[in-house]
Amino acid sequence: MIEARGLTKVYGEKTAVAGINFTVEAGRVTGFLGPNGAGKSTTMRMIMGLDRPTSGSVTVNGVPFDRHHAPLRDVGALLDAKAVHTSRSAYNHLLAMAATHSIPKKRVHEVIEMTGLADVAKKKVGGFSLGMGQRLGIAAALLGDPQTVILDEPVNGLDPEGVVWVRNLVKYLASEGRTVFLSSHLMSEMAVTADHLIVIGRGKIIADAPIQDIINGKGRIRTRVRTDQPDQLMQLLAGEGVSVELQDNELLEVTGLDPRRIARAALDSHVMIYELTPLQASLEEAYMELTKDEVEYHSLITTGDNAPVPSGGN
Amino acid sequence: MSSTTFEPTPPSRGENFGTAGNTAGSRAGDSLSTGPGPSFPRVLNSEFIKFRTLLSTLILLGCTVLVVVGFGALSAWGTGQFAEAATSDPEAAAAFAAQGGDLAVGVPTSGIAFAQLILGSLGVLLMSSEFTTGMARSTFAAVPKRLPAFAAKLLVVMVTAFVLTAASVYLAGLVSLPILDNYNLNLDLSSSQSVKMLLVNSLYVAAVAAIGMALGAIIRNSAGGIMSLVGLFFVAPIAFQLIPGDFFVEARKYLPGNTVEPMIAVEHLPDTLEAWQAALVLGAWVVIPVVLAAVLLKKRDV
Repeated sequence: MIEARGLTKVYGEKTAVAGINFTVEAGRVTGFLGPNGAGKSTTMRMIMGLDRPTSGSVTVNGVPFDRHHAPLRDVGALLDAKAVHTSRSAYNHLLAMAATHSIPKKRVHEVIEMTGLADVAKKKVGGFSLGMGQRLGIAAALLGDPQTVILDEPVNGLDPEGVVWVRNLVKYLASEGRTVFLSSHLMSEMAVTADHLIVIGRGKIIADAPIQDIINGKGRIRTRVRTDQPDQLMQLLAGEGVSVELQDNELLEVTGLDPRRIARAALDSHVMIYELTPLQASLEEAYMELTKDEVEYHSLITTGDNAPVPSGGN
Repeated sequence: MSSTTFEPTPPSRGENFGTAGNTAGSRAGDSLSTGPGPSFPRVLNSEFIKFRTLLSTLILLGCTVLVVVGFGALSAWGTGQFAEAATSDPEAAAAFAAQGGDLAVGVPTSGIAFAQLILGSLGVLLMSSEFTTGMARSTFAAVPKRLPAFAAKLLVVMVTAFVLTAASVYLAGLVSLPILDNYNLNLDLSSSQSVKMLLVNSLYVAAVAAIGMALGAIIRNSAGGIMSLVGLFFVAPIAFQLIPGDFFVEARKYLPGNTVEPMIAVEHLPDTLEAWQAALVLGAWVVIPVVLAAVLLKKRDV
């Protein structure tokens, strides 16, 4: 179990993590979702005692990480794809890590086999692809057979096969009763992997709920309506909290009104509708909705010739 | 990469996971592990594995041996030439006499300036590369108290620098013997002065390596760390000599690079520190940066 209480990290003038509270329970996969720069990695580094919190605290199984008797046996983490000296081989890296806790060589070979690195284990890590680097990071995280596993963006750079493998691995680890904390900025990945979701934006927790609640609760009701008299129907439906968008000549998208009430309004005014389709919000849409105002770096979508010239070098 | 490594279904992977008697059943609750943790001998072993598994480190160590032995041989030849000239040229004879006539004893250690540069840089690199490659995150996740890892690395580097320098100097002596013999010069490698020079110079190089490591930990940048080291050992002595004023003449004695001469002098030379003072000054040059590095290492984010 991981518990953060009032956890804050300030770099200079920038607050990366702003007094967050959360609990990651054992026995399920907890997703940590947020756009880039939201504070996910900073939070994870604070859990691992690498970054010192400006204030607040975070514990693993009730104890700050640096006071664990055998840290690697309690908590395993993949923090950055390459937290490894580039000139050392994968095998020697794992061997050196294992030596700190007297973890036998047999276990080093096991995690190499498990992560599919057997063919490249004796090669320098500097030549690894991003995906192989991730596998090595996961191997290092599993080295101590830890009760708590923390993975920062583990599927980054993995091939589709690897993505499925990580998905099954974390689910299996959770089913064994371990605490699994997994970060990603990919909502689609979370939807199929996590049981519980903590959503972070600009250093604050935006949502902390079972994944199903996030999909259902935050997604707003949208309905697609096709009619011969779109202008008339638009006037009928207009009201507080309702937005109607004309998508083409006969097609409307109505947000904030359930289909039954749209049908009733149309019937009462003798407007014929010949399509009425409720649209389920995907987690992706729900996530966009959640983090719309919390994204630090907006991409500027430009079209045609009037693309603005970026000011300042980048 | 064979696809079979992805095959294991949860039950078979379970076998892999069941090390150290940790079965799924015993995992319930928040029990902390009771397995071996990062004790100092284990961290030392880990740091030694890290040290010997980098090719660049081994190359630098090899270079040190070559340079010390090579300069020893070169110096033996030069000293012999000088001694030969002294027999025919009265001016050279006077200079030779002024040197105390015992030039040969300094031959094996004539490459020390280069050994200190290489091993000092190695000290910087071993520490700065932890940060530049991201390795530090792995290191300090395994040893979250941090200082044992730093102490272990420091010990590995200092012991290696000492042993390697001592061995290289001795080897340089062995190689010099037949060359000096050619010129009828005597060198007794077991004389007390020879032994003293070997030990003091080896300790000195170990100290420089420690200073390098401290600089690497403080600056966390390879180029910056090495430049600082070069500045301290090669630029400062020259700059202090060029700047007029008594202060710099006095301060120059306290530079780390100027502490060796007083320690190996047969008798106290004027305008230098006493041997014990020089030893203390060198000690301070090691202790202060190392303590500063340790404090910063404990305090800063990785």
